[in-house]
Amino acid sequence: MKSTGFFRELARIVGEEGVLWRPEDLMLYEYDALSSVRQPDAVVFPRTTEQVVQIVKVATRHNQPVVARGAGTGLSGGSVATEGGVVLGFSRMKQILEIDLENQRARVQPGVVNLDLTLAVSDDGYYFAPDPSSQKACTIGGNVAENSGGPHTLVYGVTTNHVLALEVVLPDGEVIHTGAEHWDRPGYDLTGLFVGSEGTLGIITEVTVRLSRKPEAVKTLLAIYDRIVDATRTVAAITARGITPAALEMMDGFTLRAVEEATHAGYPMDCAAVLLIELEGLKEAVEEHADEVEAVCRENQAREVRRAKSAEERDLLWKGRKNAFGAIGRISPNYYVQDGVIPRTRLPEMLEFIGSIEKKYGLRIGNIFHAGDGNLHPLIMYDSRDSEQSARVLEAAKEIMGRCVEMGGSITGEHGVGREKINLMPLIFSDDDLEMMRRIKSLFNASGRLNPGKLLPTGKMCGELRVQAGAGGVL
Amino acid sequence: MTLAVESWRTELASLVGESRLVTEPEACAALAADGKVPNCVVYPPTAKQVAAVLRYAAEHDLAIIPCRNGTKLSTGNPPRRYDLALSLKDLNHVWHYEPADLTISVEPGMKLGDFQHFVGRDRLWLPLDPRGGVRASIGGIIAANAAGPLRQGFGGPRDMVLGLKIATTDGKIVKTGGRVVKNVAGYDLIKLLIGSYGTLGVIVEANFKLYPKPAERVTFTVRVGTLAIARELRRSILSSPLDALRLVLLDSTAIVLTRGTAKANEQKDAEVWVEVGGSRRVIERCERDLGQLGRGIGAPLGRLEVREAEAAWDHISNLSAWLEGVYPDVIVLKAALPIAAGEEFLSHAQQQAEGERIPAASFAQVGVGIVHFCLLQEKLIPGLEGLISRTRKAAVDLGGTLLIEHCPTQLKGRLDVWGTPGDDFEAMHKMKSAWDPKGILVPGRFVGGL
Ligand SMILES: Cc1cc2nc3c(=O)[nH]c(=O)nc-3n(C[C@H](O)[C@H](O)[C@H](O)COP(=O)(O)OP(=O)(O)OC[C@H]3O[C@@H](n4cnc5c(N)ncnc54)[C@H](O)[C@@H]3O)c2cc1C
Repeated sequence: MKSTGFFRELARIVGEEGVLWRPEDLMLYEYDALSSVRQPDAVVFPRTTEQVVQIVKVATRHNQPVVARGAGTGLSGGSVATEGGVVLGFSRMKQILEIDLENQRARVQPGVVNLDLTLAVSDDGYYFAPDPSSQKACTIGGNVAENSGGPHTLVYGVTTNHVLALEVVLPDGEVIHTGAEHWDRPGYDLTGLFVGSEGTLGIITEVTVRLSRKPEAVKTLLAIYDRIVDATRTVAAITARGITPAALEMMDGFTLRAVEEATHAGYPMDCAAVLLIELEGLKEAVEEHADEVEAVCRENQAREVRRAKSAEERDLLWKGRKNAFGAIGRISPNYYVQDGVIPRTRLPEMLEFIGSIEKKYGLRIGNIFHAGDGNLHPLIMYDSRDSEQSARVLEAAKEIMGRCVEMGGSITGEHGVGREKINLMPLIFSDDDLEMMRRIKSLFNASGRLNPGKLLPTGKMCGELRVQAGAGGVL
Repeated sequence: MTLAVESWRTELASLVGESRLVTEPEACAALAADGKVPNCVVYPPTAKQVAAVLRYAAEHDLAIIPCRNGTKLSTGNPPRRYDLALSLKDLNHVWHYEPADLTISVEPGMKLGDFQHFVGRDRLWLPLDPRGGVRASIGGIIAANAAGPLRQGFGGPRDMVLGLKIATTDGKIVKTGGRVVKNVAGYDLIKLLIGSYGTLGVIVEANFKLYPKPAERVTFTVRVGTLAIARELRRSILSSPLDALRLVLLDSTAIVLTRGTAKANEQKDAEVWVEVGGSRRVIERCERDLGQLGRGIGAPLGRLEVREAEAAWDHISNLSAWLEGVYPDVIVLKAALPIAAGEEFLSHAQQQAEGERIPAASFAQVGVGIVHFCLLQEKLIPGLEGLISRTRKAAVDLGGTLLIEHCPTQLKGRLDVWGTPGDDFEAMHKMKSAWDPKGILVPGRFVGGL
């Protein structure tokens, strides 16, 4: 427990109501969507950049870690205070500061909820392209820190492709502005470095994003398969036709049934897999592509290809997909979401492999993929009260990850390294690679007090997943 | 430790092989930067050797400029020193090519033209039309963040590079990113290297995401009498459902230049060129819509022949090199602006040039806020600094920046080609020292003298 002097100093910056420090109040902040570690010593809710600067300075004086937190929906333990200290909560910095449609951009505070930004410009025909399934809750600051993706980032790119400029508070309290509201500002692209740095280089206090124009036409197809391998083959076959759908998602039959029971989206209950395919663009292009995609699905033994007939039907299909994790939560006390990436042509092989892992470890694994870009989210179900089973989950997860790496893939496509995967980093990076990253981290965060224990491994513990069972429900 | 030229040359030759170190005056002169001629050129054939050369240079404090053909060597402040040109010409392999995954991994010395030819077999391409055109090398494109008009439809290198291997001045090869299209493991050093003009490390391998080629591409033209009309047309195109692949506004001089001649033009109007792509039906639809937008401003829709369009776009990519042949002291200014400010900037720039009676041509990527403004001079005339400074001020006042992309060396002593850095300069400075503590890579040429 820190001295009351410390809390008083924080309260002087943000007011009494802007600081939490009683253990019962801190409970909510001891976990994110992955794991629970320990409580922070205090949670502070700034309203301005200047307050963030002051808080960072107080924390420095007291030698306390500082961890930024958006909505806490992260799936890699990024916003948990592994070493205690101050959590900077951004729920009071949620103003959209400027919307400038002619310049296709918006300037926002980091606590703005992803979907709220899209809703703010939707009537004018615009939207913010990165659409994580958690978009109703997660914040733009969290998206930037994780470089988040979403179903539609297949064609439009992930968060980094839509961020133009940042305001950043560095650990010493200095404020810098990176990037510009236009392309090609001369100099190093520090914006590109800060995006995806998981709160370990600086605290983001303002974000300028690119807004995209809504497409004229959208068609949503649901291709239904009796064999999972046919669904996975379809993915590469669509690409081979020179078509890049806006979204190309896959769910296996098991996941689908859980989703259908939870959302009644109209998914078939008796199939082995579905592909949810969305095409966007000019009316003529979308029509042509929809016909071609349907043909490809049928060539690959789709049992049926349905087209959403109305916006409601489309929304329902997406609601099912976007609530899939929640649906699994209803049928399994705990689940562990993985985030490996493989070249999309290797999907059939990978699914077979995951099937063999299920058998080998006696576990149930649901498969839900951003199939178009080869980003896998196997959901390993378990009960955290069963410690022997939890251990098996970690073993299974490790094998799946190892396979992704062997296939030339990555350990994380969008959820970030966080604390969960730091010890998997040596699977894809050499000592020299990691050393360069450490050198860069130390330029900004030399003391290591900014979000300690994340993103970079400290020692050489190759291939160990480091997730602990906790009250959060997930591992 | 400074060594006599002969002794370091001998030692370097033993690192890369006798035949791969060249001292012939012509070879050295071809890679001169702002009049500074290197002592020799090395052509390492492997990434490891590139790293070895860098380490040796760092140990012996030799200043290096990495390059390929030198298509972008004219950009930057004059180098503080320049001992050795590191040519990546022989790093020319394709390491992995997975057409079905739309990914490729290549070495930096490969020319864009060869690259496009290679993947074109599978009807794929890298939708980039950078300065230097087909002659530009992959490494140079990344180092200079070189994107041309195709940025309208596809973005730039930062949207296409999936991973890099970088040789560093401590003789190592570090990797960032990977070969898959989605990846957030570790810090994104790719972005740092893109647009760093060789000042941090030398790119020795690059992984790209590839794109299916549109079935057909057509360029439509609309005459616009005034900048106000051009602005109106730009707004209506950008808010329409059409997805232009390229969208440029060319003044009448620029239109002539795209035909590869310097003959005067009888036509006084500017034109907006819109390239669209897709199936025939899609293109017909675009033609209808553009025709309607044109009628809205009282201008008929033109259409370039396929060959003519290709040649014109090529000319636009090769502009500086070509202009230099005709106007030895040509100055190319590149303004990067908020999209809405493009036409207003052009109006300022044109007034400035007319005021000084300097012929000019403008190529404006109006949908992405990039304007190339070229001052066409055969001989440098006095008083130009004032004109450039005022034009730069106009860009800055409109919320943009102005880079002097190409100009005679004499002018560089008097004007900083990059403009004034911002409050993140200290961080950039630290970044430079983390990668290149001895300051041997391209010393003094980049922003703020980095
Ligand atoms: C049901 C569900 C579905 C999901 N679907 C997706 C998906 O489709 N795609 C995807 O990519 N992710 C997905 N996620 C993961 C998660 O939602 C994203 O990573 C999201 O961007 C996190 O945002 P947040 O506001 O919750 O951030 P938090 O979890 O609070 O924080 C995440 C990281 O960002 C840092 N951070 C937060 N704010 C700042 C700031 N202002 N400055 C510096 N660092 C900061 C934190 O320190 C932490 O390291 C999903 C999660 C859930 C629970």
